[in-house]
Amino acid sequence: MGSTGFHKVVFIIGICFLVHAAVSAAQRKLTEQEFTSLSLDIVVQGILSLIACMYAIIYMAGDLKEIRATEELENKSWETLRNIPSYYIFSHRGRTLSPAYDPTSVGKSLIDE
Amino acid sequence: MELTKNLSWSKARDILKDWRENNQRRSVEVVEIWETVLASKIHKLGDDRFVLLEQVSIAALDCNRIDVAASCIHTLIKEFPNSLRVRSLIVMKLEAQERYDEALDHLDTIIKLDESNTTARKRKICILKAKNKIPEAIKELTEYLKKFMTDQETWQELCDLYLAEGDYSKAAFCMEELFLHHPHNHLLHQRYADILYTMGGPEQLELATSHYLMAINLNAKNIRALYGLLLTSQQLQNSAKTTSNKKKEASKRVVWVSKRLKQLYQEATGNTESLNELMGSLQVS
Repeated sequence: MGSTGFHKVVFIIGICFLVHAAVSAAQRKLTEQEFTSLSLDIVVQGILSLIACMYAIIYMAGDLKEIRATEELENKSWETLRNIPSYYIFSHRGRTLSPAYDPTSVGKSLIDE
Repeated sequence: MELTKNLSWSKARDILKDWRENNQRRSVEVVEIWETVLASKIHKLGDDRFVLLEQVSIAALDCNRIDVAASCIHTLIKEFPNSLRVRSLIVMKLEAQERYDEALDHLDTIIKLDESNTTARKRKICILKAKNKIPEAIKELTEYLKKFMTDQETWQELCDLYLAEGDYSKAAFCMEELFLHHPHNHLLHQRYADILYTMGGPEQLELATSHYLMAINLNAKNIRALYGLLLTSQQLQNSAKTTSNKKKEASKRVVWVSKRLKQLYQEATGNTESLNELMGSLQVS
């Protein structure tokens, strides 16, 4: 579904008519002494132009996407899912790579017991 | 060093946010980005900076950069002197320094102040794990799960610990519990099937097959599940215990999966020559 010139024209015309309907409704309210209800032509014009706008904008908004329950999981791997920050432990072999690592200061707690 | 070259602070912030939200560990990179890009720009981050400081301090502890962690935690303490969340960061720092007894004292006070503080309870289990007392950690985890039954992270952790102990049937049970929560997660089905495949035996292989199929059904691009299906089907096909009917089904699956894998491999690399060789060496004899 690509947006075509036709849909753009329909959209612009629809918006114009919608605005026109609104303006005439406002005018009527100002000029008429006892305002009771809108006249039929304004109501019909409003609804028809709204439908035209809706129709055109569906085509102009771009391609629709399928909604899938697993969409967000598609690109995840087990490596990120299994990683649980609340259960991190810090006494792993990676720490020996740190410049601040002091081999004499760690491991005592294990030896003491 | 490649990573931090020409990295703007807003880009760096977005990268760290992405890692934080997707649970990526990448501690070394986090600390590197922090030191080279973000540390001097911290005032620009607004309220985001507190979560970021927490992330950086955990990452720093993870690579044993106590100096970095200490300065981050110090900033947080100044901002929130009474926060229990900051207090558990202090506990983590003690853990990283292997001062477990002090850490436990802190944790006990936190739990006394707030009965429902799950982080503190989890840290207590982590201390057991760090001391390599896996059976005790498992016991504590089961106790924890009696109180907080819907905590999925903990089920997953318990599963990992059971696997570390080689207790596959109990690990499988934890996995079952997990995909009751998320029936549409292909990774959980794949993991469960992996465990069953490791256990072996005709019944387990049958069940593993259906879970691999479920994983593939949920995500057609799950390569690990495809390979898993290939291996289970090959085993079923060659096993003496399977009936001829099931053998026929298994060999059909082998053909289908090999074709699918070749197709995906072709899409990714453009040739399948090397795959044929690799497939040959995949057979478990």
